Formats: sequence, structure tokens, C-alpha cells
Amino acid sequence: MGNATIYREIEPSEKWLKTQITRLCLYFLGMGIETAYKNVPEVKKEMDSLPDTFSFCFTVLNGPSMMILKNGNRVKYVGEKESYHADLELVLKNIEFAYLMMTGRISTPDAIYHNRQFVRGNLGHMMLMIRVMNAAQALLFPNLLLRFYIKKVPRLTMRTMINRAKAYTNATIGFFA
Amino acid sequence: MNTQQKESCPKYFEFFNSVKIISGYKALGNISSELDLLGAKRPIIITDKGVSKAGLIDHVVDSFGGTPVTIGALYDDTPIDSSNVAVNEIAGIYRQQECDSIIAVGGGSVIDTAKGVNIVISEETDDLMKFTGNNRLSKPMKPFIVIPTTAGTGSEVTMAAVIANPAQNVKMQFTSPLILPKVAVLDPVMTMSMPAKITAATAMDALTHAVEAYIGPQKNPVSDAFAFSAIELIKDNIISATKNGGDKDVRLAMANASLLAGVSFSNSMVGIVHALAHATGGLCHVPHGVANAILLPHGLEFYIRKSPETAGRIGKLLRFFIAPEDYAKVPIHERTKSTITAIRDINSNLNQLCGLPLTLTQAGVTKDKLESIAKAALNDGAIAFCPVEVSYEEALEVLQAAY
Ligand SMILES: NC(=O)c1ccc[n+]([C@@H]2O[C@H](COP(=O)([O-])OP(=O)(O)OC[C@H]3O[C@@H](n4cnc5c(N)ncnc54)[C@H](O)[C@@H]3O)[C@@H](O)[C@H]2O)c1
Ligand SMILES: [Fe+2]
Repeated sequence: MGNATIYREIEPSEKWLKTQITRLCLYFLGMGIETAYKNVPEVKKEMDSLPDTFSFCFTVLNGPSMMILKNGNRVKYVGEKESYHADLELVLKNIEFAYLMMTGRISTPDAIYHNRQFVRGNLGHMMLMIRVMNAAQALLFPNLLLRFYIKKVPRLTMRTMINRAKAYTNATIGFFA
Repeated sequence: MNTQQKESCPKYFEFFNSVKIISGYKALGNISSELDLLGAKRPIIITDKGVSKAGLIDHVVDSFGGTPVTIGALYDDTPIDSSNVAVNEIAGIYRQQECDSIIAVGGGSVIDTAKGVNIVISEETDDLMKFTGNNRLSKPMKPFIVIPTTAGTGSEVTMAAVIANPAQNVKMQFTSPLILPKVAVLDPVMTMSMPAKITAATAMDALTHAVEAYIGPQKNPVSDAFAFSAIELIKDNIISATKNGGDKDVRLAMANASLLAGVSFSNSMVGIVHALAHATGGLCHVPHGVANAILLPHGLEFYIRKSPETAGRIGKLLRFFIAPEDYAKVPIHERTKSTITAIRDINSNLNQLCGLPLTLTQAGVTKDKLESIAKAALNDGAIAFCPVEVSYEEALEVLQAAY
């Protein structure tokens, strides 16, 4: 006869820290997209070509997420809205991948080639949003770090520096507001 | 550099294909037992006018003689490049005739239409449009058997469907592992009637699949193996299939090649050539294979300018296009160019044999369309799988070179 107490449930760790770091990065990315829409003409042009009402959700399966809503000429980061089914969803399959991605150890292209993610919705729109997120990432990170995130690092210009400052300010204000 | 680039193994990869392959002489005879295994006996047959006029449906219907199978309905009005309207219509017929399975008999247009029908039926919806894009599907699919009649798209083994939306003048993409057919049946009698020009164009589609799959960033040792065997078969048979369509062995070789290339690119994806070809097809109605044949050399030349690693890979493909003793004589730095020359030679050979267009002009594309094609291509899913980032200006450059 076996001893029943041997067969305990195993509750895998919550990965609390990785989840919170990912959550914070998603927050900055969301604010970055909002700022990029207002200040980077190419991003505005790209996003204006999306349907008038459009929602984009970047989420970790069963984890943190961020939602961008477009309504006419307004693009807004609206935080975590998980219950809502977005028009376009980029889903990372595991918090581990999300954490590695957010900390620059898996680049966006690699996340795609290695199937660490899946897209729900129109791939064409996803391509557009990847370009937008690249631009937002270019606002958020110093160029040295960018090499890990995106395929082609843009030249650092005065305009990028100013926009980067705006993005940080917006995000910081948003975070404490 | 005078040593050949080493084959690098990816740090991670996935590979999936669940389709049962039945290939060869009298393969059609196995369909009834496959249906039986799938628990079905009342299939709808989906095809198009070209295929039914060639008498190919008779072969299929004949194969069910003396079996419990009844053909629930035959639909032969599938349009070129498929359409969401046809898909919704066929789904209605399927329900009305109480069918329990789907058999697609045709080229990529028919196969992709049938995939669309399976989506509408299995998801119990009345509108295909709700399921565009990636991974929208969740329900188990109906038994689905594919009998390709062209040797090109490989759609019988791919997780994708490309379906036109004529009202919006775009080609919509659907991808999900659930889309995969249960069985692919390759029988040489089904491709023998293909006219020379369609044979040539669809074969170039298959070659483009294999080449793009091998040089793409999602390639892996398994997809490479499929791509290599596809390229070898295509190189050996593409000219004789176009010249001498009655040769069953050659037809079977090409059908197998197209399937192999399909398995490869369904896993490793395609790149700039397909992104541009989809856009050209969507906006100017150039047949898919024709667009690929024209754009392949130019797409490869673009990669060579941008990425030495990709150039090295293109160079390694030369060994499939020329004899081994000649391959050894070509200096490594010239192999890349020679591969493209070899592909150009195949194209011009096909051009002389059956008038396959060599430029976008010859294919009827007007110059004022190039900008909108470039724009549409940037929003094609295949752009994500180019080994290098592609800008609007660069896409336009490739188109202008092919014009
Ligand atoms: N799903 C995928 O993975 C995938 C891959 C590549 C292409 N495609 C799609 O496939 C479509 C093109 O398919 P295709 O190139 O096979 O051509 P097709 O299905 O459009 O057929 C072309 C013509 O050939 C005729 N035909 C076909 N087989 C014949 C035969 N044996 N004898 C006589 N006539 C025959 C047809 O009636 C049709 O008129 C495009 O819409 C393309 O986007 C899909
Ligand atoms: Fe193709």
C-alpha cells in the first residue's frame, strides 16, 4: 500500500518577478505607441491606414497584456483589458518568452521564427503593428540595446532624441498619475 | 572567402505535417477506403470548369464504383484564385445535400476554396470573413481529401489558404494547423491534361516555394530536406513536363516535387517573392505561378545585395542545377550568381516552349500599378519571413527590375 501523502499536488512557481517586469515593459510599450502616434509622422501614417475602429492586444497567454484602441484619429493605450476580444492579438506562448523578449534576449523577429508567439487576426495588420512597435521601441531604448530587439536599427537623430524624451515623460506621468 | 558557408543549425525550430500522402499509379483507387477510415461516405466534390472539362472528375467518380460512397454534390464553378462568395455558396450546398466530407479536385484555387468551405462548415458559421488571419479556428474539421491537378501550390499539404475577396480586391490569408487536409492523393492521370503554360507556371511556383523555404529565416534541417528533394525533382523534370505532358513518370515526379516543396514552405514559410506575387495577383490578376516565375530571380538578386549569409545559401543551391563536376569548378564567390543564371535559363527555356512571360510587362502589369503592388506586399504575411527587412522603396525597386 502506498502512502497517500506522497501524492501531493505540485504548484509550479508563480514567476511573480518576471510577470511584473513584463507588465512594466508592456506598459512602456503601450505608452510608447501612443506617443509615437502623436509625434512620429510615419507611425501616424501607418496607423491611420488601419480601420477606423481597431483594437490591438499584445498579451502573454494567461499573463499580463496591453491593449491599444484606435478610434478615428485617436490612438490610446488603455492598459490591461483581458476579457475583451481584440481585432488583432499577438500572443506570446509563455511568460518566460515574454520576459526574455522584454529584456532583449529574444528579438521580435526571433520570437516569430521560433514560434514563441502566435497571431490571431489579419496578418497584414500584424505586419503594420510590428513596424509601429519597432518605431515605439526605437523611441524607448538606446540604440545600443536596440540591436537585440529589431532587425534594422534606425540612425539616431535629434528628432528621435526629443521624441524619446517625450515618450519617457508621458510614460512616467502616466505611471504615477 | 574561399570555403563554402557552413550549414548552420537553428537554435530552435518546430516542424509539423499530419497529412497522409498517397502517391503514384492508381492512387485514386484508395480514396474510398480512406473515406471509410474517416467515417464518411457522402462527400461533396469541389472543382472548377477547366478540371471538369478535362474529364478528370470522371476518374474520381469512377474510383467509387462498387463502394458504399455516394457523391452528395458536385460543384464545378470555383473561380480562379477562389473567392469568399463561392466558399459561402458551396457551404450552403454542402448543408442542403447533407454531405459529410469534402473532396477537392483541382489546382490551388480549388483546394483553397475547399479549405474555406471546411472552415465555414466546421465553425458552423455563415461567413468566411470572420475567420481571416492566423489561428482563428478552434473546432475539429470535417474529413477532407485533396487530389491536386496542378503541380505547383503544394496546397494539399499546407496550413494556409489564400482566398480572394473580389469586392475588396484583396487576397485574404487563412492559416491554422486545423486547415491541413487528412489525405493528399497524387495520381499521374490527374495532372496529365494540364496545358503546357499552366504546367510551366505552376512548376515555377513549386520551385519558388522550395528556394524561398531554404533561404528563409525559419528554415530548419527537416524543412531543408524537403526543399532539397523538391528542387532536385523540379530541375530534372520541369522542362520535360512542359514539353512532353503525356509522360506519366515525369508528371508524377512533378506532383511529388510540388508536395515536397509544400511541406517545406508550410513550415519554413516564403519571403519577398511570394509577398510581391500575392500582391501582383491580387491587384493585377497575374496567375500566381507566372508572378513567381518572373519575380524569383529579382527577389534573389535583392537578397544578395542585402545579406551575405543569404547570398551564400543561394550559392549552395547551385549544386542542384548543374552537374557535380561542373559545380566543383565554379568558384565559391560565383556560385550565387550562377544559381540565379540557372533559374533564368529555366525561365527562358519555358518562355520559348510555351510563352511563359519573363517580365511584368509581358504579364500585362501596367507601370502605374507598381506602387500599389509594393504597398500591398508590405502588408503580406510573407514579409515577416524575409531574411532581411524590406522597405517600400526596396519592394518597388524589385518590381521595377522585373517590369
Ligand atoms: N494554400 C497554399 O499554400 C497556396 C500556395 C501557393 C498558391 N496558392 C494559391 O493557389 C492558386 C493558384 O493555383 P494553381 O496555380 O494550382 O492554379 P489554379 O488552381 O488557379 O488553376 C489554373 C487553371 O488550370 C486549370 N487546370 C488545373 N488543373 C488542370 C488539369 N489537370 N488539366 C487541365 N486544366 C487544369 C484550372 O481549371 C484553371 O483554369 C492561387 O490563388 C494561389 O494564391 C495557395
Ligand atoms: Fe506559391
